[in-house]
Amino acid sequence: MNDLQAAGKQDERFIQKAESVSSAVSPVVEINGLTKTFGTFVALDQLSLTLNKGSILGFIGPNGAGKTTAIRILVGLTRPTAGTARIAGADCVRNARKVRRLVGYMPDKFGSYDNMRVREYLDFFGAAFGIGRRKRQLRISEVLELTNATWMQDRFVESLSHGMQQRIGIARTLLHDPEVLILDEPANGLDPQARIEMREILLRLADEGRTLIVTSHILPELARICDRVAILAGGQLKAFGTLQDVSRALSQRRTMEIELLDTDRVAAVAAELQASLEQECEVTPSEAESVVRFRTSADEEQLSSLLNKLVTSGERISQFREVAGDLEEVFISVTQQTSEDRPQNTEEPAPVVETTS
Amino acid sequence: MKGTIAIIERELPSLLRMKQTLWIFAIVAFTFSATVLLKWPSTSTADLSGVQARAVFRGLAYAMFVTVVLVVPAFPATGLIREVRRRTMELLLNSPLRRSEIFVGKLIALVAFALLLLAVTLPAMACCYAMGAISPTHDVLGLYTLLGVICIELIVLGLLVGTVAETAESGLRWVYGATFTLTVIAVIPHIFLQGGESIYAVVASHMRTLSPIPALLQLIGDEPPGAIGAIESADLIERYVTSALVLSLIGSLVCIQRLNYSLMDRSRSQGLITDERSASLRAARRVMYLVDPQKRKSGISWFLNPVMVKEFRSRQFGRLHWLLRMVAGCAVLSLLLTLATTMGTLDWGVEKVGGIMIVAQVGLILVLTPGISGAMIAGEMESGGWNMLRATPLSTRRVVTGKLMSVSITLALVLCASLPGYGIIMVIKPVLQTQVAQVIVSLALTAAVAMLVSATVSSFFRSTAAATTVSYGLLIFLYAGSMLVWVNRDSPFSHAVVQRVLSANAMAGALNAMEVDGFQVYDGLLGTTWVVSGVMCGVLLLVLSVRTWRIWEPD
Repeated sequence: MNDLQAAGKQDERFIQKAESVSSAVSPVVEINGLTKTFGTFVALDQLSLTLNKGSILGFIGPNGAGKTTAIRILVGLTRPTAGTARIAGADCVRNARKVRRLVGYMPDKFGSYDNMRVREYLDFFGAAFGIGRRKRQLRISEVLELTNATWMQDRFVESLSHGMQQRIGIARTLLHDPEVLILDEPANGLDPQARIEMREILLRLADEGRTLIVTSHILPELARICDRVAILAGGQLKAFGTLQDVSRALSQRRTMEIELLDTDRVAAVAAELQASLEQECEVTPSEAESVVRFRTSADEEQLSSLLNKLVTSGERISQFREVAGDLEEVFISVTQQTSEDRPQNTEEPAPVVETTS
Repeated sequence: MKGTIAIIERELPSLLRMKQTLWIFAIVAFTFSATVLLKWPSTSTADLSGVQARAVFRGLAYAMFVTVVLVVPAFPATGLIREVRRRTMELLLNSPLRRSEIFVGKLIALVAFALLLLAVTLPAMACCYAMGAISPTHDVLGLYTLLGVICIELIVLGLLVGTVAETAESGLRWVYGATFTLTVIAVIPHIFLQGGESIYAVVASHMRTLSPIPALLQLIGDEPPGAIGAIESADLIERYVTSALVLSLIGSLVCIQRLNYSLMDRSRSQGLITDERSASLRAARRVMYLVDPQKRKSGISWFLNPVMVKEFRSRQFGRLHWLLRMVAGCAVLSLLLTLATTMGTLDWGVEKVGGIMIVAQVGLILVLTPGISGAMIAGEMESGGWNMLRATPLSTRRVVTGKLMSVSITLALVLCASLPGYGIIMVIKPVLQTQVAQVIVSLALTAAVAMLVSATVSSFFRSTAAATTVSYGLLIFLYAGSMLVWVNRDSPFSHAVVQRVLSANAMAGALNAMEVDGFQVYDGLLGTTWVVSGVMCGVLLLVLSVRTWRIWEPD
């Protein structure tokens, strides 16, 4: 299966996923005013968000944004200075032991042990979670199968490639059947093929009804699997919601696409759009695809009129649609905003764009 | 030639810049200076016989030899392995440099490093020379020349191991194993077969010339081990130097031949499992290994501490087959020593053999424990495993208990391995039964102190290397330092001072119980060492528990 086919398949899954999200509404992760300071340095500033069962949250932000600090608080490794974090109703500080059973955590550093075979490695963590021996053996076989790693069960962990180790890391987080999976940079350092496999594994896990929190610097990867994104910068939550909503709210311009049946009309339609829409509108014709793309701040009514105008002028349009926002653009827009804000005033936090759908 | 110089210019400064180098040089300089200074005549009476000066010279020669054997082989083996793993060897092989230039460059740099190590002992040797009775050419120059040859041989051996081993740990294991074989094992057959005319006796006689020990003993004027009165007529120094140079030359040629791209072509473990092999092979492996390391393990049982099992499985020597080998080695060694006594080949007496066994066991404990226990928490911190453990529902108590149990079981097995030796001692001299029991308690306390010191140190560091080094330093200070005071028991330290210092050393208690020469004069030393060691264990356990709890709790 090539990359495009895989992406198409995943897009379908994404749509199914989004549908299932709306039906499952019980909040699993509740973060309220979470703050962490190290001396005078504010690593996390009043982070608040909730996440429903079955969601995949993409946690993004530049280096030092506070992602890992937030994750460490969620898994009970760091104590917050203020605020609360709850997973399935259990407080991450007061009920840390219960939370550990509810959460599967994969840190960015793999943490392998020398001279241990994959099965022994998983056996140890299974035993650490108190899973009985017989059940543990079955569970190990299940998680190895789920992560397509059965064939490497007798290999020594340290002899595996980075991509294979990441798979074992995910298998380990799944051993105790957690409700929430927190994965810190799971796609870091993986080659394209391994990334596709990782994406498939994560989508499969979400299909099973688990809630996933994933951090990554590889934004196109996140865009393909996440139904929610949270953008952190300078310890503050800058945006939270679906990718489309966040993208629209932040950039205030959306990308539209018109697909024509007549390729030779592409240039004419592009010229017509340029004339009809605002001056800043970027119009990009593509005769090879028989498509005209444009970025506009026009509202629904203006777009409706535009479509009407094109149809009445005799253009044969097969599709008129909005293209999903580009996470990279959103990320750059937020982080640039943060770096512009920073020298002027650090006392007043930038407004959080929160969208719910 | 230019290539060789380029390699030397790169190798030598990088060796000297290492933190370990500074520590090793500082410790060697301090120890050697202290040894001579403590023996420096404090009275106005001159020792015209030169006995004291010769004794100091012999002590220095032994110490220099031990230093060379312990320090020199590690650097070439690990350095070459590191270079292969970091892929800088690939860059070197891809350059216009010839393989021989690379090898000679490395060899010269390492020899220069070893000579610098020996140079650190020069002030101590100068003081010793000033005490008189030492010949500058035969004794001083002869000793340094012999040690230089030993260095060359061990460096070539280390480089050769470096071209074979895949990891630094296995490199160290193999190079020290080979060094031990060359220096100690090579001498043992001759001890038992000397004087005979059989082919075995002749081979054993030739074999011992591979070891530098007989040559060193001849140079400093001591009797070779196991000598039974016959005067040694052969020139052991010349024989050893010849054999060492020939072996070094052969080793160098093999090493140059092995320095090629095949070093980088080592395949990853394919995870071979005995369970999936043919029935005949499975049967053969069952005979070869009592515990087959490649047999698929069943899951961890409910009654076992999972951390303990994990420690055993992930530790270098933790796998049961390695433990069994180690235990068997200890058992054979202790039996050989007692056998030597009963056969009359060593005229040492039961107490002396017991003393040697105690010192050898404590040496083994001190060499082994920081390596295992020092990585207990620091190793987890370094690999990122600590946070993964913290993310499990395990309690701090269970983690620490599991880790301590894994180290104590290993040490207990090592101690138990020497029981056959002590058993024979008790058969030869039944009156020593109580003493032997006391010795075993003292050894157990030594092991407990060594384990808890290393474990506690480990909880304060995030790097295994740093934790292990500090643990070694503390244990050497505690055990070797107190013995250094005992060595100078006549002057400058008084009887009371020595007894007080020895009270922290459980090994001294064991030697006192065994009534070894020089230790039987300290009344009540055994009981004091037990109390002090017990208190030390309690305090260390408390510190370890508090510290582990602190680093386990959320930051």
